[in-house]
Amino acid sequence: MSIERGKINSQQLLFLIAGFVQGSILLIDFTVGITEHQTWMVILAGLAISAPVILSYVALAKRFPGMNLVQINDMVYGRFLGKAVSMYYIFFFVMTLSFNIRDVGELYVTFLMQDTPFIFFLVVFAATCAYAVTKGIEVLGRVSHLFVVTGLFVIISTFILLIDQMDFSNFLPLFELPFIRIFQGIHIVSIIPFGETVAFLMIMGRLNKTEHAVKRTFFGLSIGALSLLVVAVRNTAVLGRTQTIWTSPSFQSIRLINIGTVLTRMDFLIGIAQTVLIFFKCSLFLYVLVVAVSQLFGLKSYLPLVLPLAGIEVIVAATVFQSPVDHAMITQNAGIIYSVPLVFIFPPLSLLIAKIRGLPKFERGKET
Amino acid sequence: MIKKITSSIMIFILCFFMLFALTGCLGAREINDLEIVIGMGVDKDEDTGNILLTAQVVKKDTAGRTSGDASGGGDGKAFWNVSSTGDSIFDAVRQVTHKTGNRLFISHNQAVIFGNDIAQEGLQEYIDFFLRAHEMRPTALILVAEDRASDILDAKPETEKFPAMNIAKLVDTYGFTSHFYEVNMKDFASCLMSPTTAPLVPLVSIVQEKDCMDIYVSGMVAFKKGKMIGKLNHDEVRGLLWVLGKVKSGVLIVPSPDEQGKAVLEIVRVKSKVTPEIKDGSIVMHIKIKEESSLSEQTTAENLATDKAFEKIQEATAEVIRQEIMAAIDKSRELNADIFGFGEMLHKKYSSKWKTLKDNWDEIYPTIELDIDVETKIIKTDLLKKPVSQSEEEK
Amino acid sequence: MFRYIFKKIGYLSLINKHMLQNTKPGKNNNKPISPDLEKNLEVIKGILHSSDLAVHEFNFGHDRRFKGALIFIDNLADKKEIHKNILQPLMYDALLLPMDMDFTQIDTIWKSLISMTDNVKVTLLGDLLDSLLAGAAILLIDGSKEALAIKAGKRDARSIEEPGTEAVVRGPREGFIENVNVNIALLRRKIKDTDLCVEKYVIGEKSKTDVYIVYLRSVANPKLIEEIRTRLNRIKIEAILESGYIEQFIEDSPYSVFPTVSNSEKPDKVAAKILEGRAAILVDGTPFVLVVPMVFIESFQSVEDYYARPFFASAIRIIRFLSYIISTLGPAIYVALTVFHQELIPTQLLISIAEGRERVPFPAILEAFLMLFAFDLLREAGVRLPKPVGQTVGIVGALVLGEASVQAGLISPIMVIVVSATAIASFAVPAQTDSGTILRYIYLALAGIAGGFGVIMGLLATLMHLASLRSFGTPYLWPVSPLNLSGIKDVFIRMPLWTMSKRPKAISRNSSDSCNQDPGLMPAPFKKGSNDSK
Repeated sequence: MSIERGKINSQQLLFLIAGFVQGSILLIDFTVGITEHQTWMVILAGLAISAPVILSYVALAKRFPGMNLVQINDMVYGRFLGKAVSMYYIFFFVMTLSFNIRDVGELYVTFLMQDTPFIFFLVVFAATCAYAVTKGIEVLGRVSHLFVVTGLFVIISTFILLIDQMDFSNFLPLFELPFIRIFQGIHIVSIIPFGETVAFLMIMGRLNKTEHAVKRTFFGLSIGALSLLVVAVRNTAVLGRTQTIWTSPSFQSIRLINIGTVLTRMDFLIGIAQTVLIFFKCSLFLYVLVVAVSQLFGLKSYLPLVLPLAGIEVIVAATVFQSPVDHAMITQNAGIIYSVPLVFIFPPLSLLIAKIRGLPKFERGKET
Repeated sequence: MIKKITSSIMIFILCFFMLFALTGCLGAREINDLEIVIGMGVDKDEDTGNILLTAQVVKKDTAGRTSGDASGGGDGKAFWNVSSTGDSIFDAVRQVTHKTGNRLFISHNQAVIFGNDIAQEGLQEYIDFFLRAHEMRPTALILVAEDRASDILDAKPETEKFPAMNIAKLVDTYGFTSHFYEVNMKDFASCLMSPTTAPLVPLVSIVQEKDCMDIYVSGMVAFKKGKMIGKLNHDEVRGLLWVLGKVKSGVLIVPSPDEQGKAVLEIVRVKSKVTPEIKDGSIVMHIKIKEESSLSEQTTAENLATDKAFEKIQEATAEVIRQEIMAAIDKSRELNADIFGFGEMLHKKYSSKWKTLKDNWDEIYPTIELDIDVETKIIKTDLLKKPVSQSEEEK
Repeated sequence: MFRYIFKKIGYLSLINKHMLQNTKPGKNNNKPISPDLEKNLEVIKGILHSSDLAVHEFNFGHDRRFKGALIFIDNLADKKEIHKNILQPLMYDALLLPMDMDFTQIDTIWKSLISMTDNVKVTLLGDLLDSLLAGAAILLIDGSKEALAIKAGKRDARSIEEPGTEAVVRGPREGFIENVNVNIALLRRKIKDTDLCVEKYVIGEKSKTDVYIVYLRSVANPKLIEEIRTRLNRIKIEAILESGYIEQFIEDSPYSVFPTVSNSEKPDKVAAKILEGRAAILVDGTPFVLVVPMVFIESFQSVEDYYARPFFASAIRIIRFLSYIISTLGPAIYVALTVFHQELIPTQLLISIAEGRERVPFPAILEAFLMLFAFDLLREAGVRLPKPVGQTVGIVGALVLGEASVQAGLISPIMVIVVSATAIASFAVPAQTDSGTILRYIYLALAGIAGGFGVIMGLLATLMHLASLRSFGTPYLWPVSPLNLSGIKDVFIRMPLWTMSKRPKAISRNSSDSCNQDPGLMPAPFKKGSNDSK
């Protein structure tokens, strides 16, 4: 019946979500340009706004045990409308994944290996993600905590290494920017790291026990948000006013590490952390995309689609955007507009409709 | 089944290696092909008005050897100062390849020295490359030469192999005197972005001694709107650092209580706090400084290690500190440059009023009132309890 | 040319025919033994026309009215034993028994005359031959449809010595030997429990090798044992010469560079693993005992970790992890740094590396490959050669290849340091030497092609691969992934023994009370206060 046979437990869900949110560390740099030294509060506000919505995803997944988003859509909205909604989601997955894959390429081309062709990074990265996806969600779930621990280790260690360069008066004055910019920032943050967890509706069906799902999801989300917060605080405290001019504030702040001229040139730390975390996020996203597409076409296994879809993602990532500037503009403006219904409207709506129509019980009776 | 798996693995491996064969190794640069730059100087070409860039490149064949047996290669210098001109800095960096045969590798650049003429013209337009270039690190030091930057890079120090490294070391040890401080690219950019704060940059000068040239940091220069406007001497800089709380250590000389000689104190710990206050339209900065020092030297026979003497010395020390601060403030008023960052402090505390203050900051700045409160304490006398003098003992 | 090939083919077909002929009699082996002694002997001689077949015909009993024959393979059976315990009783002691005893009944002889244990009654010719080839002496009696296979085998066995591959500073010095019976006895001496099960299999059509599964019935997971049985039964092979044969037929992922079956020469180590719920597979003829399931972390554990006190043991274990990282990643990181990420090298170091490399004509990646190749060459040469010569190879290799190539400017001195550090580190984790060596070359290639990015991608792919591996149902990376907090006590550091009261959850039978000791055994000095209060 189901495309995926692997199971995850709720503890693994916690780490999956935490790692997924941590994977957006590179993406806070978008927000920094808008919200400057108030980024930290934007992240908190974004978490506060999106947490209830994300918990509604869990409620939805609990209501339809063992099912993924495409199946839920089919059931809630009927065959044709459901398919349309699922297509919309798939479009969202395709675009978001290509943003993320492109980020890795940009990270390397800008900072670490300037002379290597851009497409090379995309292809190798996507191939590695595809390899991870072929292993299934169970393996991804099994290693999730390793990624989270790596991320936390780098984030905390860089924070400690930079503590003597921090100037906490950089956060003052607390409220300065016009509200419209804060609002824009909150909008971006609530979509880009947090709202993207809507992808987990494709994964939560694989939970073996849904007992602690709500609690664990929230906890995972908090770990992710905390990581983002620490990074934002670090960047603001270290870079101060200049954080808005750098392509990647995180990278520049790590490059400033200089302790006794021994602990210096630690760029590799952030390079490893960001690659690894984005790898995890992209693998999850690719998995979600592949499963969603194969579910939509009613395939028996998702494995044949992994490589073709990874290839498509590389092409999209390489061709849709012309430059990092273009990339940032599309993500900041168009990206967060078209994903609003997917993140904030459809899942709660589905839950509501399911409640009104008493859906899963009816379907369960039919199945068994 | 097994055949299928094997063939798919083969195809995968084949693709993998083809990918590498087609695209790989493009980013590779062997160390042999690098021209490792450890220092850069930017001057103005007097004839054409273009930029004259001097890059200090490591000579790989002699760099590792000890200076004793350097006779093998040329003049025995471990470095090569290669220069070129260009319309912009990046242009000049690329023009250097005509002379070096390799691209410059500037990740290990320790210091960027700007010539006096460039600094007077304004650094705003030249700093961009050093922040934007991916190989430049934000920790690279920024310095201004008293005259020409290329001369500074030419002056070979006695113990260090590379002038640029030597300069970086000189600046790095500012803590012993607190007569200037380290400014890197990021700090400088940060000040440039502020609407009011005037950045300071250490000033390096050359002094001719016997047959060799020595480099030393003679003070700092202040910038306003990216242009160099004046110079601060050692004491003025320390006056500034007192306020900012950045004094690490240093020597304070005060007259001894009996006015027969001097008491020399070493600064051990400094804490400072600046609280801006807007009272009836006038701005007052409350500066509170807590200083702790040790008695490191004395030139009188009097025993200074007594409560009474301490009290007097402490008072005198506070006065010295206050004078240094006042010197710095007088200088900044004279230049009308907010070297202390008072504007930023006000901004952080009175963000709403700041908007009106910001626009005519130049008029407001000289009118800022100061309330300086210095508290000093002598916390140790090092190895001696009493001075080495007989007469004290007899009394 | 073609003629040569045809000749070869003709030769091959000849061999085939020959083999067919050879196997033909084997097909008749299911015939029962006939009561006619002469006929039997003829058949046996017909099948085993070998000069080391000893047939001893004799008459015995009162008036020598019974005819019998003793067959054995000359060098397999112990003649002294046969003489003393079979022939002598038959020829002389039989006379002491009543006259009317019927010695055509094998049972009568067995029970009243043969003073040896471990005898089997055989009725089929095939079984007879099997026992004969296993070293038994076969007693055939004229007029009986049965024969007695008497285990009179002698076996030249090496004495029990300290194993060369797993030397310890503290711990038992005994090691397994080639004789599987001795090996089982060694295990039995460690675990004197009625639960210890020994299951015998005979694998190999020609070699008929004894293979034993040894496990603790109350601790091992029944599914694991069932899985081992089915995998062993699947093996259809001509000969098993070493336990490595078995390993390659039962492992989970034959395409992986990581071993999923562990082996050991030390009884204490195998016993410890059996006590955790694993199963040991002993194969006759080799001191290497297989243990399944294997987890990755096992490679970094040594028996000595548990004999020494926890602090030092933990420190050593961390060193082992580091050394594995150095041995796989050392050259790769060096190449990635010096070819792609020179900005991450501290300035002074970069200048000295640059100076050392100034005269080197090769790219760093080639330099690294050359040095690693030289190292592997030296190691292989040193292992195969007799010990004294092996040392010479090491000295010559180190001096000539290392010193002279640096002097000649072919290799930079730092590369020599990197490769030697790698080489030393690679010996610290013997269980993963194979995988480490292969990965070292792969990572080096990745580093040479794509620098740090290549290495990170390689590491991620390796991690995913490792996480997806299973060994007989146990995730290979257990307890790190999936995370098991009680298991992690014995991964990066070794917690004191008194804290490890539970058996590994993923390996042993999954019962909630799987404790191997009382919890709360923490040693505490005698407390005065607590006694006084009573």
